[in-house]
Amino acid sequence: MTNGVAELEGSDAIFIIGSNTATSHPLVATRIFRAIENGAKVLVADPRKNQIAQFAHLYVRHKPGTDVALLNGMMKVILDRGLADRAFIDANTEGFTEFKTLIDQVSLEDCAAITGVPVSQIEELAQIYGKADRGSIVYCMGITQHTNGVNNVKSLANLAMVTGNIGREGTGVNPLRGQNNVQGACDMGGLPNVFPGYQPVTLGAASKKFADAWGKDTLPTNIGLTIPEMFSAIEKDKMQGLWIMGENPVVSDPDADHVKKALEDIEFLVVQDIFMTPTARLADVVLPGASFAEKDGTFANTERRVMRVRKAIDPVGESKADWEIIQEISTRFGLSMAYAGPSEIFDEIARLTPSYSGISYDRLEGDGIQWPCPTPAHPGTPYLHKDGHFTRGKGLFHAVEYKGPAEVVDEAYPFWMTTGRVYAHYHTGTMTRNSAALDREVSEGFLEINPADAAALDILDGQKICVASRRGEIETRIMITDRVEKGVVFMPFHFEEANVNKLTNPAYDPIAKIPELKVCAVSLTKV
Amino acid sequence: MIDMVKEKIEALFKEKKIAGFLGLREQNGQVAPHLFMEGQALEGMCLGDRKIAGDARYPLNKILVTLARQYPEETFGILARGCDERGLYGLFRLNQLDPDKVIAVGIACPGDLALACECKKPFPEALVAGEKIQAGDSIKAGRETLAAMDTLDLDKRFSFWKNQFSKCVKCYGCRDICPMCFCRECSLECEDLVSKGDLPVDIPVFHLTRAMHMADRCVDCGLCDEACPADIPLRLLYKKTAQIMDIEFGFTSGINKDERSPLSMMGPAPKKVAK
Amino acid sequence: MDYQNILTTCTYCGCGCNFFLEVLDGKLVGTIPCKTSPVNEGKLCIKGWNVHQFVQSENRLTHPMIRKNGVLEKVSWDEAFDYTASRLSEIKAEKGSDAIGFLTSAKVTNEENYLLQKFARAGVGTNNIDHCARL
Repeated sequence: MTNGVAELEGSDAIFIIGSNTATSHPLVATRIFRAIENGAKVLVADPRKNQIAQFAHLYVRHKPGTDVALLNGMMKVILDRGLADRAFIDANTEGFTEFKTLIDQVSLEDCAAITGVPVSQIEELAQIYGKADRGSIVYCMGITQHTNGVNNVKSLANLAMVTGNIGREGTGVNPLRGQNNVQGACDMGGLPNVFPGYQPVTLGAASKKFADAWGKDTLPTNIGLTIPEMFSAIEKDKMQGLWIMGENPVVSDPDADHVKKALEDIEFLVVQDIFMTPTARLADVVLPGASFAEKDGTFANTERRVMRVRKAIDPVGESKADWEIIQEISTRFGLSMAYAGPSEIFDEIARLTPSYSGISYDRLEGDGIQWPCPTPAHPGTPYLHKDGHFTRGKGLFHAVEYKGPAEVVDEAYPFWMTTGRVYAHYHTGTMTRNSAALDREVSEGFLEINPADAAALDILDGQKICVASRRGEIETRIMITDRVEKGVVFMPFHFEEANVNKLTNPAYDPIAKIPELKVCAVSLTKV
Repeated sequence: MIDMVKEKIEALFKEKKIAGFLGLREQNGQVAPHLFMEGQALEGMCLGDRKIAGDARYPLNKILVTLARQYPEETFGILARGCDERGLYGLFRLNQLDPDKVIAVGIACPGDLALACECKKPFPEALVAGEKIQAGDSIKAGRETLAAMDTLDLDKRFSFWKNQFSKCVKCYGCRDICPMCFCRECSLECEDLVSKGDLPVDIPVFHLTRAMHMADRCVDCGLCDEACPADIPLRLLYKKTAQIMDIEFGFTSGINKDERSPLSMMGPAPKKVAK
Repeated sequence: MDYQNILTTCTYCGCGCNFFLEVLDGKLVGTIPCKTSPVNEGKLCIKGWNVHQFVQSENRLTHPMIRKNGVLEKVSWDEAFDYTASRLSEIKAEKGSDAIGFLTSAKVTNEENYLLQKFARAGVGTNNIDHCARL
């Protein structure tokens, strides 16, 4: 997030798109509920009328995968009606002319036809967000998990820049991170193209800095493979060894049968986890890690706040903290590691990662610190791009044209399928389904379907149905609800026995390599 | 004020009257509930006032129930404000704690906190530190809040609560934080009463089921209000049930140590009635 | 009698709520939201309130295992460490560094993410490291 979560309370317009906030980020929803009490207007755009949409000043139901069309329509209205912040644009951005040329050609009627949102509602969205003094954009995987994911995000950045809603308290472009430490995993260089602190592996200076620190002459400078590329490499017999720590791709990744086959085929698979997940069952070596309650460390949350994790109990059974496991194997492999504990590892991180360099365990007592925090005296950074000073210098507008999803409905697969979470579960359910209270709440998967579609298929609430896509088929019970509109169905992805990711489309965004989990085409058959 | 509290606790330890003292302390830069043991310094002990008075209160009574279940023979000291002591009286009545095994070390709340809480009795009988402030103004404020709600017609009141309940994210935090919630089987998990598995929750069944269940238990401590991620004014709801209990039965939960609930008159007599 | 409250950060979503894990005689018995946390101000969702439950689940993995004759068998840590290190070394020697990949995790700590990417880059010599940021 460019801005802090608590700042939302002071926003006067909040535009939520592709986020089921009350379910997936309940403690962010707290701030949005408060903002409403404080008089903010909340705008929600989502194919599914989720809980927070009921509190929106305006809710629009756009068709899955049509975000760019909706956003371009909004920006057309903003430019046409003089709601753009020309002073901000002139002072702090570049690329506006090209962007404007594209937006000028946008027709609101076309946007309405593509998205299913009436022109009047697109205008109202634009009016409210465009006139806000402190407008905040909140989004989640409903924006990113598309073959156009990067374009969707660029469009949101355009929207914030064109109205000057960035670099001030209560504004910003705010992706809600879905996992407790996905921010930290990225910050720490758990990506194929960057070292910790987003320093490119291809950059000679960065490579030399890390090589020196790690006692190597050189480090590889070719960009590595992303997850989907690794599975392809395995299929082509170009990858023989894979070490998976704390992930469950057999359930979480699209086209799950395909992923499972790759992991069955690979020569040597190491899985380090706390439970025997469907992925761990395929491993050659299973390494029992310790849970967050059994070790020290740090997590970075969605607002870049680095916070302490503290050991409460000893590791269960013979399990070991993941850092100890890595250290032991690394040393036996030939790269000696002898850290006394996580605090010492953190100090090395701080030395090599500019955005973390002012942080130490001592300073993390109390409220934690929001990076960037360049020096030990720096208080941390609640919001980024202050006074329009962007990381790259000027904020760059991108002219983004609408392009539909990779797979569209047809006669054979006539329903749009979208996926997400439920309130009582988390991701592949590895942890939550091992919690009695949470399992009691929701113990099996389901498919949400509009009453009209259920009637047409002659099925009743709770009945089983066969759901098929071009990649596989599963059986699950239906839940009849008008949260979804006619022609659209929804499934949570927590349940391996009705794994919707056997159906989802592995087609991915060409830049971010993020799969299009939020849109695919399915058929439904009564069983 | 804290010096007087510490002095009292040290005396209790010295006289071997308690196995441990349940209070609050500054820990890792935050305020935490803590069990102080004999021989350990009371360093870091605090009373839960951070930016404003009483902003770091915790359900110490609930922790005490956990400890008492595990160590039924031991006597514990506990930090208690007026609301905490009301809770202790309730837990004695409901046989969850043995009054002979609990020594409250009481602190009085300042006037601004009492008013903000609309507190019925902002000081405990077992007062050790702080100045007793009579509850007149805060009780009046509570009556006014309820009266303001009562002036709304039924449709408006229902729509107010419906809107509030619709925000519920079903965390069960109102139950989980509640010092007076100790049932091993919870009516909120009874599927004949409350359906499970979806948001929003059953409206108004979920919240009213809890309000009814707590009618003779709630001591108006306000911890549920503070724990609600949706800022639902739960305290206001429970205040109304408490008002009905008062008008119909002349009963206020936790005000008298020897109280008996009019809702459980039909049941067996309490195991032990304090003298 | 040993009762402790340990301040920590939630392991579920990206909100990063702070709470105390209640430990009674070495066992987790509950979760109490931290009132003074700037993130959650004493509030939690249903997952947070029950986060202590999965930790001590009887389904937890408690021993390292190696697949022998098609079946995963319990082994000592030494055997698991040696076997993993030597198989990775063999693959690197035969097929090169880029024949090995790593999935690090949004569920583990910063320190652990840092170490695994350090091992991938400086130990094995590959940038094939990624995690489920996209999922």
